[in-house]
Amino acid sequence: MNNILSILIFLPLIAALAIILMPSGFKERFKYIALGTSVVQFFITIVIYINFNTSAAFAGINIESQFQLIEKVSWIRLDLGSIGKLEIDYFLGIDGMSMPFLMLSALVMFVATLASWEIKTNLKAFFALLLLLNTAVMGVFCSLDFFLFYIFYELMLLPLYFLIGMWGGVRREYAAIKFFLYTLFGSVFMLLIIIGLYFSVLNPATGNHTFNMILMMDPGNYLGSSIFSTVANQNVLGISARLLAFIVLFIAFAIKVPIVPFHTWLPDAHVEAPTPVSIILAGLLLKVGGYGILRVCYSIFPDAAIQSAWWIGLIGVISIIYGALNALAQTDLKRLIAYSSVSHMGFVILGIASGTTEGVSGAMLQMISHGGLSAMLFFLVGMLYNRVHDREIANFRGLALVMPQFTAFVMIAFFASLGLPGFSAFMAEAFSLIGAFTSQDVNGLLPRWMAIGGSVGILLSAAYFLWTLQRMFFGITRLKGGDEWLSRLKDVSVREKFALVPLAVLALALGIFPSLIFNKMNASVLAFIEMISG
Amino acid sequence: MIPISHFMLISAALFCIGLYAVLTKRNAIQVLIGIEFMINAAVLNFVALGRLDKFAGGGQMFALFAIVLAAAGVAVALAIILNVYKHFRTINPAKIDTLKD
Amino acid sequence: MELLELSDNNLFLLSLAAVAFPLLSFLIVLFGKKNSGPAFPILNLSVSFIISLSVFLAVWNATPVHPQVEWFTLGTKVYKAGILLNNLSVLMMLLVSGISLLVHIYSISYMKGDGNIHKYWAYLGLFCFSMMGLVITDSLLLLYMFWELVGFSSYLLIGFWFTKEAASQAAKKAFIMNRIGDLGFLTGIMIIYTQFGTFDLVALFDSGGLVDSSSIIDSMWISSHSQMPVVWLSTAGLAFFIGAIAKSAQFPLHTWLPDAMEGPTSVSSLIHAATMVAAGVFLLGRVYPLFDSISLNVITIIGVLTAFMAATIAMTQNDIKRILAYSTISQLGFMVAAMGIGAYGESLFHLTTHAFFKCLLFLAAGAVIHQLHHYKEHHQLEFDHQDIRLMGGLRKQMPLAFLTMSVSAAALAGLPLTSGFLSKDALLISSFEWAQGYHGFKKLVPYILTLTSWLTVFYIARLIIKVFLGKSRFEGISEVPSAMSTVLIVLACCSFFLLFSINPFSFESSWVLRGFSSAGVKRFENMHLTVPAIVNIISIVIILVAFKLYRKGEAKAFSDRGFLYRFSNNAWYFDNAYNLLFVSSLERLSHLSSRFDILIIDGLVNLIARLMNMLSGISDWFDRNIVDGLVNGIAAFAGKAGKFSRLFQNGKLQHYLITMVSLVITFFIITYFI
Repeated sequence: MNNILSILIFLPLIAALAIILMPSGFKERFKYIALGTSVVQFFITIVIYINFNTSAAFAGINIESQFQLIEKVSWIRLDLGSIGKLEIDYFLGIDGMSMPFLMLSALVMFVATLASWEIKTNLKAFFALLLLLNTAVMGVFCSLDFFLFYIFYELMLLPLYFLIGMWGGVRREYAAIKFFLYTLFGSVFMLLIIIGLYFSVLNPATGNHTFNMILMMDPGNYLGSSIFSTVANQNVLGISARLLAFIVLFIAFAIKVPIVPFHTWLPDAHVEAPTPVSIILAGLLLKVGGYGILRVCYSIFPDAAIQSAWWIGLIGVISIIYGALNALAQTDLKRLIAYSSVSHMGFVILGIASGTTEGVSGAMLQMISHGGLSAMLFFLVGMLYNRVHDREIANFRGLALVMPQFTAFVMIAFFASLGLPGFSAFMAEAFSLIGAFTSQDVNGLLPRWMAIGGSVGILLSAAYFLWTLQRMFFGITRLKGGDEWLSRLKDVSVREKFALVPLAVLALALGIFPSLIFNKMNASVLAFIEMISG
Repeated sequence: MIPISHFMLISAALFCIGLYAVLTKRNAIQVLIGIEFMINAAVLNFVALGRLDKFAGGGQMFALFAIVLAAAGVAVALAIILNVYKHFRTINPAKIDTLKD
Repeated sequence: MELLELSDNNLFLLSLAAVAFPLLSFLIVLFGKKNSGPAFPILNLSVSFIISLSVFLAVWNATPVHPQVEWFTLGTKVYKAGILLNNLSVLMMLLVSGISLLVHIYSISYMKGDGNIHKYWAYLGLFCFSMMGLVITDSLLLLYMFWELVGFSSYLLIGFWFTKEAASQAAKKAFIMNRIGDLGFLTGIMIIYTQFGTFDLVALFDSGGLVDSSSIIDSMWISSHSQMPVVWLSTAGLAFFIGAIAKSAQFPLHTWLPDAMEGPTSVSSLIHAATMVAAGVFLLGRVYPLFDSISLNVITIIGVLTAFMAATIAMTQNDIKRILAYSTISQLGFMVAAMGIGAYGESLFHLTTHAFFKCLLFLAAGAVIHQLHHYKEHHQLEFDHQDIRLMGGLRKQMPLAFLTMSVSAAALAGLPLTSGFLSKDALLISSFEWAQGYHGFKKLVPYILTLTSWLTVFYIARLIIKVFLGKSRFEGISEVPSAMSTVLIVLACCSFFLLFSINPFSFESSWVLRGFSSAGVKRFENMHLTVPAIVNIISIVIILVAFKLYRKGEAKAFSDRGFLYRFSNNAWYFDNAYNLLFVSSLERLSHLSSRFDILIIDGLVNLIARLMNMLSGISDWFDRNIVDGLVNGIAAFAGKAGKFSRLFQNGKLQHYLITMVSLVITFFIITYFI
């Protein structure tokens, strides 16, 4: 099974083709095909997870031979005359940094597919696009060739644009365009850097320029006079070229994360997107940003990353507090959760900026944890919206009496998100903060007040979640829609439980046994820390 | 002896009158008359300038030749005018514009 | 002296079982049948209590047991989870499981007929689990986890009647204020972890442990692992103390506790009087070696201030539960202050005795509330059944409640023969002894504490007299059901001296106090006689005065209009101030930031989009009119020129001639004249 990653990536694409080729009479079956695909993917990732080698000899990060499940096939070889030979590989492989995301992707896709039951129009296109998105996301997490990475990265945009623009809410076109342009803005500049890197790096084995990301991580592979060479230290516009490249790449990924002030696409996209797309956006797309920062920005430009750690940490703290403050002011439940995502992803940035084992592990765990929890939160909001087509917090009151099981799930999701110990978010946030705090002593990157500032976000998250809980779910039942709503607000159905229970279990399991993730990525995190500090 | 310039002036006046008639008259016969005027202006010039010719009688010769030619031309022209009249039921040259594409 | 021989491994398993049984109760009751009744949780709790007792007997005054298992690995560090059984933890274990068991039994009757009763049992189970976990865990991180879980179960139980607006408000307030403390706690953990690289309580705080062996050189705090400026040592101590402030409802984070009285009285008794609120003091005990003189001073000041403040507030409250809540805050202030002055053992001793008599006070009050509530429902009346102004003369109808409450009140007042006498004396005497060595404000500490204890006597006497003495106002109120009365009797027995000391007048013979070593202060023999004597004589005078004042039932001791009265009755206006200062300003800040987000950040994005749009509009115009215009212009010129030249070819002979002639003339003119 040495092409298991390809199977994982292209299985949904095949399913999408199958759906496209099927006659429309089968449209009730499409969702089952999509669901089946994600279930199969999930099992594949479990097999990968179980067989994953956690020893230091398989840490990955910047040593090609240490990656696992490598697939490397020459893909494009084009003789460009005097410039050399174009060398693009179909190069897949995983290490401890990417493996957890594969599981998360499969799980979130499963939940998103279950949430797609609410989609009623144009099913063929919807599921085909959903599966295409699945392929792209899996591909991003597996690719080790920058060119391939970029293709998958851009491929994510296309289905998302249509999914938001066609099945979204009232202002869907605005949201879709905003999302598309925002992200494209980042990635266009990324392309410049990729090309720059391509011309700077030589594959020592073949003597050609290469898109191989792992080769880009070794300063020895850079041409002495090239723009991104560590030796030549070239300047562009008065800034070191490497620093500039790092900043550009960071912004490109940070838009996805998102960080303040590049976050405003997120609330709009979330609010307008249909539930399954919101789930994927929050559960996976934001993680692509975080993953990109680790895999690309930090790994290829560690020197620039260390240089700008203070600013990145500051951005993290600002995102945490700013997102939380905004969440507090929202009146739309979905917007509130969207802003809480901004706040929670701030911990990721802060943890990464710390450059400590604790911080980076915490950031990784936070991404996994938030992937599950935000999927759960958006699923829950979707359930409510699906029943009464309203999400205004003020229009609901005393829901606990009407939908006790739903309330129980909401409470689990809320408390898990606000970092109640026993749930994954707590471990993740605690270790991000601890990492940020120890940073000053370990590597002197971040001052201590940043960790303390970040911890205010924990307080604020308690404030906005509990306030919402109190306003919407407690008290005497009083609904805007009156008795009509009352009859429509059915409690959680079996299908919905199938989606919610795995997510709750994931949050709980990772909260009590963080070693489930920590053990698998520990070697990689150590290698990562060594690389950026060495 | 009458100076040569007097002949030239009269001839030029005749030519201009002829030209005027050719350009402005709304009757093909009158246009024809204008043409005769212009030919006669030329004939007058022939005769007058023949006096200066070393070869005696050359001017008169050409004048006669031109008169004969003019007479022949008038005959042909009148025939055309007749045919034009037959065809267009008018001999006003302004009305006959089938020359344009 | 080991009372029971058990191997370490067995102890480990047993303590785990003691923690796990309440969790089992939580899970099974929550996910099991809806009306499974109280038998299962009570059985679980009994088992847990019996195990705790055996663990207690095995470990008390024996060598601490500290088994660990590997939890997870991060980087090169291995994080261990384990339990630490020493005198402090086994005592707390016993206390928690014992009082929980009693409250469980009490709740059978008290909560009878509630629609969500199974949830109540489940939440209680969760609380016991987290509280037991909190006391026995050996790692700061786990301690923090259980610490928050305790807060969470408290949230669930305060908001148990979630349809009541006030209850859900109070639950939220309690959780958020505790979160503020949690931030402090977390900061403390971060400092400790940075400095020492471990969460292990034993490695950190044992004598000769990491904290002990760290030193201060040139205002740098140096440990074997790392070093940082000495200010972080005080910060760490204060950070942990902030955690304790929130959980133990100390000034300035005390306002959640009176509001938490919206929960069922049995819950108030267990969580908000006996066990959870004591967790703050427990935490101070756990991290005690960390405190430097600055932190200790702050702890003392806060403790004394809280004790005094809460006592003054309790004097004028009219809600029976609120009086007891403020009393709890005040007593916790005593314990905290005792921690601050180094009377570690005395503080824990008072914690133990207080747990029993305050639990009893609440449960007896609960009995009164319960019966009045039934009376109210039965007669379909509308009045506040917790207002002591409306009560009176209940001693005849509810003699048992009267008796047991009087016993606990006496213990709270510190009258002789009660457990409260022992612990309060221990506290006051050690504070006097401690103050001998200092000058300035520290001299005041014992006097304020003594004054506070007199205030305590006054407000509790007022409570008892107003509720039980005087004219009877209700007819046909009966004694409480047997499940409740049994519990009251058991707790009343525990409020006497006998459980703690053979000698009713010597706290030093108490086994609890001997279990903990206090910081040695110079002993002043005469104080051990004079302080209790003076304190108690004046206490009795106060009781008599209170009796005279309130006997009639109608009389008011203070004018309603006085500033001091209003100041006290409104709880020093803390809630108003906090609402004004923090809640509304946070709300305003969040709206501001939301406006900022929409107007400035998103506005900027939209502005850029609009600018782009405008730019593209301009470029469109340019393209249409200038670039394309040029092309079109050329084409149009060619067309126009063609049209113009067409004019010459109109088929009219004479026109052609005119053209020809004029051309010839023009040519002629050009050739000859120009």
